[in-house]
Order: sequence, then structure tokens, then C-alpha cells
Amino acid sequence: MNLNNILPYKKQTLKSFFSFEFTTANVVMFLVSIALVTAMFYGIGVYLAEGHHAYGVTRDHAWGLLIAMYVFFVVSSTGLCIMSSIGHVFNIEAFKIIGKRAIVGAIIMILVGFSVIAFEIGHPVRMVIYNILTPGLTSAIWWMGTLYGMYLFFIILEFFFLNNNNHKYSTIFGLAGLVVGLAAHSNLGAVFGFLVARPFANGPFFPLYFILSAMVTGSYLLFLMYGWRYKMKFPPEVETFLYTLAKVLGLLLAVLIFFEIWRMLTAIYGNMPERADVAMHTLTSANFLVGEVLLGMLIPFAIIIYSKGKAAKALVYASITGMVGIFWMRYDLVHDTQLAHMMPLKIKEYAVTTPFVEYTPTLVEWMISLGALGLAVMMYYAADKFFDLDHKSEESH
Amino acid sequence: MARYGMALDYKSCINCKACESACKEENGILLGADKHRIWVGVPEMEGIFPNLSIGSSSYAPSQCQQCDNAPCQEVCPTNATYYDDNGVVRVNPEQCILCTYCMQACPYDARYIDDRTMTVDKCNFCSDTRLINGETTTACQATCPTKVRIFGDLDDPNSEISQVLRDREHYSLKTHLGTKPKLYYLT
Repeated sequence: MNLNNILPYKKQTLKSFFSFEFTTANVVMFLVSIALVTAMFYGIGVYLAEGHHAYGVTRDHAWGLLIAMYVFFVVSSTGLCIMSSIGHVFNIEAFKIIGKRAIVGAIIMILVGFSVIAFEIGHPVRMVIYNILTPGLTSAIWWMGTLYGMYLFFIILEFFFLNNNNHKYSTIFGLAGLVVGLAAHSNLGAVFGFLVARPFANGPFFPLYFILSAMVTGSYLLFLMYGWRYKMKFPPEVETFLYTLAKVLGLLLAVLIFFEIWRMLTAIYGNMPERADVAMHTLTSANFLVGEVLLGMLIPFAIIIYSKGKAAKALVYASITGMVGIFWMRYDLVHDTQLAHMMPLKIKEYAVTTPFVEYTPTLVEWMISLGALGLAVMMYYAADKFFDLDHKSEESH
Repeated sequence: MARYGMALDYKSCINCKACESACKEENGILLGADKHRIWVGVPEMEGIFPNLSIGSSSYAPSQCQQCDNAPCQEVCPTNATYYDDNGVVRVNPEQCILCTYCMQACPYDARYIDDRTMTVDKCNFCSDTRLINGETTTACQATCPTKVRIFGDLDDPNSEISQVLRDREHYSLKTHLGTKPKLYYLT
């Protein structure tokens, strides 16, 4: 049995696998990736030795940077899946070229997300066992985890059939992956939205916002993947796609900004405790103003408006700031949810009280979280080596 | 089966911390895990000297509220948190995956990580050490010198707790969240 007949791949020798063009950008990316993955493994080693004590998480702030990074990666995965489905599920012409590259990105992102969360969940093996034996059907985490498992299965099949040029089945599994992915991702939003004890997070905002911000994230990642793939010298069909993508991204960002404005206004209005004060704290923080708003939304949005979506190269660079902004959106999501002290009677029992719960990630958390970015780059490099991710003009949909 | 609850005559609390000590001894709480399973809140006195409010100087003993509609139970992905036959919200450490979602969901900050089992634990009304042996007391209640705590079966109309809840005004914490706590503060 020849594997190449089942899943066509490019044969590689060890030498050809590790060979790449010695440009400055490639060498820098190579070294940064190696450094990040080394840091990740070091961080994992410290975690395995010390457990959660290696992290900055506390009883009041039990979810930290790793949860934020898990959300970051799975949002990226869902975003890529949604954006790719515009082409090969919904047959929008300009998006048809991104199928394989976006889906392989989605698979990589969710695998890296799972690898990050494995070092945050205290008992990941036990999780797999009791997820099946004693499912907590009222738990958003159960639904999120189970649906993400199914989602991964579907998008792997989708890639398998895309790679085999079997468009009937790739569309079927693409649609299945999209629907289950949307369900999983909105459940991830519900993990926060269901928290009745946390008025700032409670409500339908996060499940909806997660889908919207996933699409924004997917667009940024597509700009980055195509900018890197073609080294800013885009062939005509890719250029057409990027122009269309810029317009879609502009619309998505406008909706996102609109969402955020109303979220904050409704949070502040009426001065409701644990909601208005948390919202004001968020609104006046650099994380939100510089990270989320300026880097994540305004800079890319301004470029799109100013260039009428024609500045593909500038948008590739703006997607870097965009992804930094997306990171802060995830960090703030986790941090802001836990800002309010839960037990009013207990606040005063300590000599020094803080108005909000404080949290600072440790070096180990940064190592694992940012190191995972290196892991994602390495996996993408390997996928690019083994599979032909470019669209062929003779491929029909 | 009983439906256990606790009434706290908190204005009698002298903050001697006997309840905290007894709880630690009974349930093997590790050193450093102060104010985790059970605690006494010490509010600052209101007003400016000499016009201090004596009414604001009472202590606030607290612990898991043993909700009838517990958010921590609802969010548990593996059903490690469950209601036992006595209506007590308990944790099966064998099933806990330490996702800490219950710590996020509890409005009373009553959940903590037990470093012995590396699972999230909570007050269980001494179910493992007393109720299972047919006793109807908790360590904190039995040790309290000023009889702040009244523990008993809420379904038994003749129990001391049922009588005191009929006779005296009381309130519970964050009832607007629909948690239906079974800890009652007597006023």
C-alpha cells in the first residue's frame, strides 16, 4: 500500500526538508521559531516539575495567559475555517484559491491550541476519560471541547479530500467542519457568557463576538500567510483575492468596532457594580486602548479606508499589528472576566485591599504561550514542504 | 434523606477562628490554605472616630453556600461536582480535571485548589468525616464557643435550624443570581 496514493504528498529527504532559501527573512524566521519552541519546551519542563505553582495564576485569578493563548489559537483556527469556506463551500470565486492553505492553517492552529491547553488543564488524560464516561451536558466547556474534537476530525477529512481533488466530499466535510466549528466556537464564547457570577462577561455578547472576531482573525492570518508565501509579489489571482479580502475585512472591522462601542456603553450605563467598574477599568487600560483598539482595529481599518482596500502590502504589515491586537483581545477577555472580587465580605479581611484582582503572567507562562507560536510556524513549514498548498487553476470547484 | 443547611447568628461571632482551626483539622487543609474552605470576614468599622458605627463591627463568617442551584455544579464538564442525597454540593476528586471552571462560576469564592489531590475542593458540611457516620454536626459548628452556627435538616420542621429560620429574620448572599443558597445569616 502506497501512502502517496491515499494522501498525495511531496517526497522529502532530510536534506530537502531542512533546505530553504537563505534570505534574511527566512533565516530570522527560522531562528525565532527555534528559539520560541525551545522556550516552550523549557516552560513545559518547569510546569511538569512544579505544576500550577509555576504560573502566576491565583485562587482569585485561576485562568491566566495559557487560557488566553488557547482562545487565541482556536479563534485563529475557526477564523481560517470560516474564511476558507467562503470559497469552497459557498463558491465565492475570489476566495476559491485559499482552500488548502487556510484549512491546513486551521488544523495547525487548533492542534497548537490543544497543546497549550494541555498544560493548563490539571488532568488532561482524565478529561478525555470522564468527558465520555460522565459528560456534564450543562457545561459549556464540555460542549466546546467535544465539538472542537469533532471539528478537528471534519477539517482533517476536508483537507484530505481537498488534497485528493475530491470536491464533492471536501465540500461536504467543509460544510460539516464549518457548522460544527461555529457551534464549538460560540460555545467557547459561552464558557464566559454563561458565568452568571461575572456580570461583565455574562450574556450573549461573547458567543456572537467570538464568531465575528474569528473572521477578523482569519482575515489577518490570510494576509500574513499570503504575504509570506509570495514575498509581497502577488500573482494577479492572489491580488484579486487580497483586494476582496480587504473589503470583507473592512466590513468585519466596522461591525466589530460597532459591537465594542455598544458593549462598553451598555456595560457602563447605570453604574451596575462589578460591571460598570470593570468596564471603566478596561476602557482606561493600555491593553484595551493600545492593544485592542489601536493595533487590533484602528490601524488596519484606517489602511483599508484610506487605500480603498488596494494596499495589500500595507495590510500584510497591518495584519501583524492586527494579530497583536487579537492577542490582547483574548488576554483582556480572560483577565477582565476575573477582575471583580467575588466575595464582598472577604475584601475587607485583608490589610491591603485592591479594587480589582491582579494578575501578572510568569516567565514560564510567557515561554509556553509565545513558544506555541514557534510551534505553529514549524508545523506550517512542514505542511508547506509535504503538501502542495497552492491553488491550481485547473482545479474546479 | 435530609436537606442540610446552616444558619449563622453572625452577630455573636467573636472572630476567635476556632471554626477555621476545627475545619482545618477535620478536613486536612494544608498550611497556607487560609481562608480557603471556611473563613471569617472582618469588615472595617464604618465612621470616623469617635463617631464609629458599632452596628458595622460584626464579623462575617462564611464558607460554601451549599446552593440548591449551584453554578459550580452546572458548569462542571465531567460531573465531578454533584449533589449528594443530603443536598450537599460535593466533589469527586477522581473525576475532577482541574479546569477550574467551577472557581470562575462560584459567586462566593468558595472553591479552592487542594494541593494534596490537585483537584478543586470545597466545604462539604463534613460529609466525609461526620455525616457519613450518622453524626449531624459539622466541625465548625461543634466547636463554635458562641454558638454562631446552627446546622441541621431544613426539611425537618422540628429541627433547630427550621425553627430558628421561622422565628428570626435572615438573609442569604447574592440571592438575585438564583443560586438558592442554604446558608442563612440571622439578623
